[in-house]
Amino acid sequence: MTRVPLLLLALCLGAPAHALDPGPDPVPSVMWEFYRKQWIGDEPYRFDQRVKVVAPPFAEDARQVPLQVDARDVPGRVRRMLVWAELNPLPRIVDFAPGPDVLPWLAVRIRIEQATPLRAAVQTEDGVWHVGSTLIDAAGGGCTAPSVVRSQPGWEERLGQVLGGRYPREDFSRLRLSVAHPMDNGLMAGIPEFFIEHAELFDAAGRSLATLELWPAVSENPSLSFDLRRPGPVRLSLRDNNGNAFDAAIE
Amino acid sequence: MVIDSGPSLRYGQALRSAIGKVTDKPVVQVLITHHHPDHALGNQAFADAPIAALPGTNAQLAKEGDGLTENMYRMVGDWMRGTQVRVPEQTLEPGVKRFGSHPLRLLAFTGHSGADLAVLDEKTGVLFTGDLVFYQRALTTPHSPGLLQWMEDLQQLQGLPWTLLVPGHGPVSQDRRPFEQMMDYLGWLDDLLRDSAANGLEMNEVIATPIPERFAAVKMSKYELIRSVSHLYPRYEQAAMARVEQ
Repeated sequence: MTRVPLLLLALCLGAPAHALDPGPDPVPSVMWEFYRKQWIGDEPYRFDQRVKVVAPPFAEDARQVPLQVDARDVPGRVRRMLVWAELNPLPRIVDFAPGPDVLPWLAVRIRIEQATPLRAAVQTEDGVWHVGSTLIDAAGGGCTAPSVVRSQPGWEERLGQVLGGRYPREDFSRLRLSVAHPMDNGLMAGIPEFFIEHAELFDAAGRSLATLELWPAVSENPSLSFDLRRPGPVRLSLRDNNGNAFDAAIE
Repeated sequence: MVIDSGPSLRYGQALRSAIGKVTDKPVVQVLITHHHPDHALGNQAFADAPIAALPGTNAQLAKEGDGLTENMYRMVGDWMRGTQVRVPEQTLEPGVKRFGSHPLRLLAFTGHSGADLAVLDEKTGVLFTGDLVFYQRALTTPHSPGLLQWMEDLQQLQGLPWTLLVPGHGPVSQDRRPFEQMMDYLGWLDDLLRDSAANGLEMNEVIATPIPERFAAVKMSKYELIRSVSHLYPRYEQAAMARVEQ
């Protein structure tokens, strides 16, 4: 009986990284392989419940679905976090690269076009992707519903306004931001893509703390939250695909 | 007289047949308390009776009725067969209006859905609250202008000279317990959302809040908390954050 684990151990140690056994996919999926090939490629991965993808069981408002990814229980430093909604017409949500002073945790609100698996692939410094998954039910239409922002007169003047707050926790502090922007995804007739595509956090000395690439599966008036290991003022720099740049400072 | 026609043509027909077992008198008037689908989509079954609602209710039904109906089809499918929106053709003004020998006091509020009718039968003391009162079933908030507004409405409602309370959901009551439960629950929900926003909680963290033990008898509270956080939390968040752009 003892020889089997030893053999397994030997195989694990001796095998190339890409031979890692991913284990069973915890959610029913028709698109996993398709997107894995695009974004993870042949790099080693495993389905990992320590990556917690948290969303309500159903989308009450498919245009503003709260999504939270928590990879704090994954051993090793997280260098990237890719998040997508498999059955969305535009599946990609964010590509988050937290630096050492930012926890591998992120909250954002997203659009859902129909019931779908939600995935977060978290890459640790050893190169392994840890994939967290959940399912969400939805009446749907969140990606193709008319913009609420654009129905409000004067929205252009509010473009780039940022609401923010900083909230102390026991051993870190939370940063919350809400940015006025329509995040047009190009699926509405006559309205081309217009969305914030890049965000970066800096400390008071101007050092980069984290970068976040966004796609328009992120809801209009994006709501973003980060957990920072250290106190102190930070600056958020944002850029949309039309070249508009916005800055916000939070104590 | 019928107050609220139910969620579908089929339900409206069943309601008519139930009424027929109690009385052979005709339905002379239908009142719709608010525009939500479980109250206003049985109207087709009362094609021969005048149907009345507050102006705001009629406007909401005209605007959102088809969408709400589609969602009902998605949820319960064939039970909705043949159901279409019929917007009430009469509009009600607040005040006392006589129906037969019953002077009915019509009261207009907004706390639950934006346009909420309550009806006090001054002859019998029966108070029909519509969905301003849920009892033993969690309240719903998709069109609420705000929980504090709702609580103000309830303060006014409970001061009326009623003897029997007919909630929009839950059992009828001769005592104040439905009002007490509503005020307690609304106060808890308002505090939860305000405190959570002040502490920078994420929606999913608020949704995970345990329901207090004292609401154990309130059905669907976990489910409705998920919905209410989606409907209401953004307002509390915005109030708790400051402008930080440069």
